Parts: sequence; structure tokens; C-alpha cells
Amino acid sequence: MASREELYAEVVREHGAALDRLARAYEADPGKCGDLLQDIHLALWQSLERFDGRCSLRTWLYRVGHNVAASHVANDRRTKSRMLISIEDVDLADAKADTADSAERNIALDRLMALIRELKPSDRQLVLLFLEGVDATGIADVTGMSAGNVATRIHRIKNILTNRFQGRKES
Amino acid sequence: MTNDSVSKMCDLWQQSSNESRRFNQDDLRRGMSKFERTIRLRNLREYAAAGLVTAVFAYYGWVFPTLLLRLGCVLLILGTAYVAHQLHRKASARPAPVEMGLRNCVEFQRSELERQRDALRAVWSWYLLPLLPGMGLFLLGLFQFTKSVTEAADRPFHTGAAVVAFIVVAGCIAIVFVAIWLLNRRGANELQKRIDDLNRLTQDAV
Repeated sequence: MASREELYAEVVREHGAALDRLARAYEADPGKCGDLLQDIHLALWQSLERFDGRCSLRTWLYRVGHNVAASHVANDRRTKSRMLISIEDVDLADAKADTADSAERNIALDRLMALIRELKPSDRQLVLLFLEGVDATGIADVTGMSAGNVATRIHRIKNILTNRFQGRKES
Repeated sequence: MTNDSVSKMCDLWQQSSNESRRFNQDDLRRGMSKFERTIRLRNLREYAAAGLVTAVFAYYGWVFPTLLLRLGCVLLILGTAYVAHQLHRKASARPAPVEMGLRNCVEFQRSELERQRDALRAVWSWYLLPLLPGMGLFLLGLFQFTKSVTEAADRPFHTGAAVVAFIVVAGCIAIVFVAIWLLNRRGANELQKRIDDLNRLTQDAV
């Protein structure tokens, strides 16, 4: 079994960028985002001492990352003061989606980030894992959602991505 | 729906940051120290608040001459110590980082919410009840003390008016206690709704 330091090095090498994206999706403020990223790495580093290979390293790191980030959201005063929405309540149509600018990469990313930050933690976890390319079984392993709920929500995410970000309306 | 456009968005997302930040041992140790410092400061604040209440009632217990008032002060100090201990215990009951890896997100968040809900639901037993005996005795002691001082000064003691004043003060305290209990119960109900939402995520619709 690899040592904690070796496991940590592997996690950072393979998934460090995904953790960076995860932190940015949970925290808009750049300073607090840095703190959140450090908290995630700290929890990950501490937790890896007891990693026993019961699940894959990727599942482990996403669980730690999302659990730390969800606790950060729960304790954040700004988030407490506003209502987070479910993915089922996100409008498929978006007026901004029809503008030519929306094709531009940065604008689309900014809008996607803003949308993700409006979501409840459980939906945020699912959207982020989907965007990272994790399959439905992997998403269920990390989040603990049932297969049916994961499938329904992935379908919803695809609709949202298609309608809001590509300017096409689903018939 | 076009799978192509969806996968383009996924690619765009994954390319949005290729920054793979690694924290070295010193960074992580600094992070640990910062976290421990935050906990120490929080503990210090709690001890300072409990110390202030203790000092005030210790002073009252020393100044007031009657047994009932002194006993009320002692019980209030003991009650405050118990509440401070419970606050400290509940705030310290944070899960170890390894729990975050062992449990999936729904399980982890549910256990956190259940812990908070249970603390709010039981607020009467660990926050309100420990202060009641001391407050009750202190108020009765004040009533008795006022009566004895008035009579010693050869002035008429209006029992009816004193009882009304006693009831008003006790009523105000009761209103504050009931309001705290209701607010916490409402908070617990809100948390229960979030727990129910999480439970629904683990079950497929029949």
C-alpha cells in the first residue's frame, strides 16, 4: 500500500485541476476560494492516512472534496441568506442564450459557474461530477444518490446544457 | 438533444482550469495550525462569556445576604458551567476528515444535519432547563429579600403589588425561554426538511 505522501502526490497529479475547478464552483470570492481549496487539500491529506482502497482513489477524493465544500456552503453567511435552488427548478430557456456572445467560451463558462453556484449542494455535486466526465455509477458512488435519481438528473443537466448554453430549444 | 453540444460543454469545463495546485507539507501544517488557532479562539470566547456570568453571580452571591439568593447564584453558576460545557461539546463534535472519504455525500451531509437537528430539538434540556432552578430561586430570593428589607425599614410591604411584579418579571423570563425554544424547534424542523430531501435522493420513485 502506498504511503499517504505518495497517494497525495498521485491525487494532485491526476485530479488536482478538478479540485481547483470544484473549489471555484463552490466559492466565487477568490480569497475564500483559495482558503476552501486549502481546506480540501488539508482534509484530503489527513484522510488519506486511513485510505484502505475500499473505493477508488478518485471516488475518495471527490467525496472529501464535495463534503468539505458542502460544509463550507452550509457555514457561509452569504449562502445562508439566499435560497439555493434545485436543478428541477432551473429554467431550460435562458434569454441570454440566443445572443451571439453566448458562444464565447468565457461568457459561457461564467454563466455555467453562476448557474452551478445557485444550486443546492446535492445538485451542485452531481453537475460538477457530470462535467468532470464521471459516469452515472461513479456519481452514485460519490453522492449516494439512487441510480434512478442520478439518471433523471443527468437527463435534466443535458437539457439545461443544450438549451441554455447552445441556444437550441428542445422540442 | 445533441450529445455533441453537451460533450463540448464538458470539454470546455474541463479545459477551464488546468491548474493543479499542490500544497507542500509546510502549507498543510500551516493550515492545521490556522484551524487549531480558530478553535482555540472560539473556546476562549466561550470561556470568557461563561467566566463573565460566573463573576457577576459570584459577586451577587457575596453581596446578597440571604441563603435563598446565594443558593440561586450558586445554581445559576453551575447551570452556566453546564451550558458552556454542552456548547463546547456540541461545537467540538466535528467529524474526522477520514469520515468524509468513507461516507458518500448524502450520508455525510445527513449525519451533519441530524447532529444539528438533535442539538436544536433538545435545547430545552441542555440550554434552558439547567438555568431554570437557579433563576427560580434567585427570583424567590429577591422577593424575600425585598420583603425583609422593607419590613426592617418599618415601611409597609404591599404583598399584592410585589406578587404582581414578581409574576411580571418571571413572565418576561418565561417568554424569552419559550421564544428560544420555539425558534430552535423551527430551526430543527427546517433541518428535518433538508434531511427528508436528502433521503428522497437515495430512493427511486416507485
